[in-house]
Amino acid sequence: MATAPSAEFLAALHDYQPLVRRVCRLYCQDADDRQDLFQEIVLQLWRAWPRYVPQPDAKLSTWLYRIALNVAISNLRQRTRRPASVSVEDEAWHLAQPVENSAYEPEETAALYAAINRLSDVDKAFVLLYLEDRPYDEMADILGITQNNVRVKMHRVQEKLRKLLVHN
Amino acid sequence: MELEDLRRQWQQPEKAASPAITSAELQALMRRQRGGLIEKMRRNTYWEASVASALVVPTLVIFLAYNHGPLAVLYAGSLALLTVVMAYYYYKVIRLLRRLAETTGSVRGHLERLYAGLRQLLRFYYRLTLATLPGALLLIYSFFMGKELLRPDGFRTSLLAEVGAGLLLVGAVLQTAVVYGTRWWMHRLYGQHLDRLEGQLRELDEPAKTDN
Repeated sequence: MATAPSAEFLAALHDYQPLVRRVCRLYCQDADDRQDLFQEIVLQLWRAWPRYVPQPDAKLSTWLYRIALNVAISNLRQRTRRPASVSVEDEAWHLAQPVENSAYEPEETAALYAAINRLSDVDKAFVLLYLEDRPYDEMADILGITQNNVRVKMHRVQEKLRKLLVHN
Repeated sequence: MELEDLRRQWQQPEKAASPAITSAELQALMRRQRGGLIEKMRRNTYWEASVASALVVPTLVIFLAYNHGPLAVLYAGSLALLTVVMAYYYYKVIRLLRRLAETTGSVRGHLERLYAGLRQLLRFYYRLTLATLPGALLLIYSFFMGKELLRPDGFRTSLLAEVGAGLLLVGAVLQTAVVYGTRWWMHRLYGQHLDRLEGQLRELDEPAKTDN
């Protein structure tokens, strides 16, 4: 990388860093993998930043979700081969730390995280955008499919999660 | 607990907010970053192209400095032709890999581009690999024939036929090994990635195909 990042890029990265971390949290169970994915997303954002043109009808967050999800889903690298020292359930417990004013037990939250972890990378993208409270039209824009397709797929993902929770 | 319920706690701010990344930290972080498959392929291609050009140019110069006559011209011409073919190959590969590294499009568009690009790259590599051995054998035979034709006592037809048949036989055996070996190697290295991309594209297509 030849040039130093611009102040605008650093400011945007600071504002949206929690968003990028949430994407990594959903896609990687292992802390090292999460850090690798975070770095890869930031690298891609930095590379793409000079070509980013703000438009009145397009949000910066949409652009950012696209890049983050593209990197996370098409993460064409050899998956971590070291034996998992932490199981999916353990990691789900870690993510499901009690939240203030939460009406749910940590066990329930952990079970839901564990179920999400069992979904495919594409299904996780639907879950992420749903959790991020993105409207269907923006989801369709990010994913490159129709709104109707998003609705149908979202419904199916929720069904899958229910089944996974029942089996657990 | 449903996804709807998780949504409420998902968006709550983290207890310990992530510190802002400084310019120096970002640059240091990126220097350490190894990148994914595409980045690795790009690095390998640049490395291969640099080594190839570092070897070919001096070879050509040294060869022409010490050899003269029609055969030397044939050798140098063949090497120059090979250099042009390889330069075109590296140019195409680097251009394609640069396109594949682009991540700003929609998820589906990105997956489609990756899938089509990787297939195109592998097809290109496979064809080049398959063409290399027959090309090399043809070159060897033409050099040998050139030497025979330049013999003051006249060329030996039977020897030319025997060498030709021998090269053909060796070529057929080696080519069979190259075909199977290259397919196995490509499948081992890139098969899982292509299968995964294909599956992901099917997943995105699935509801529209079945429900519309």
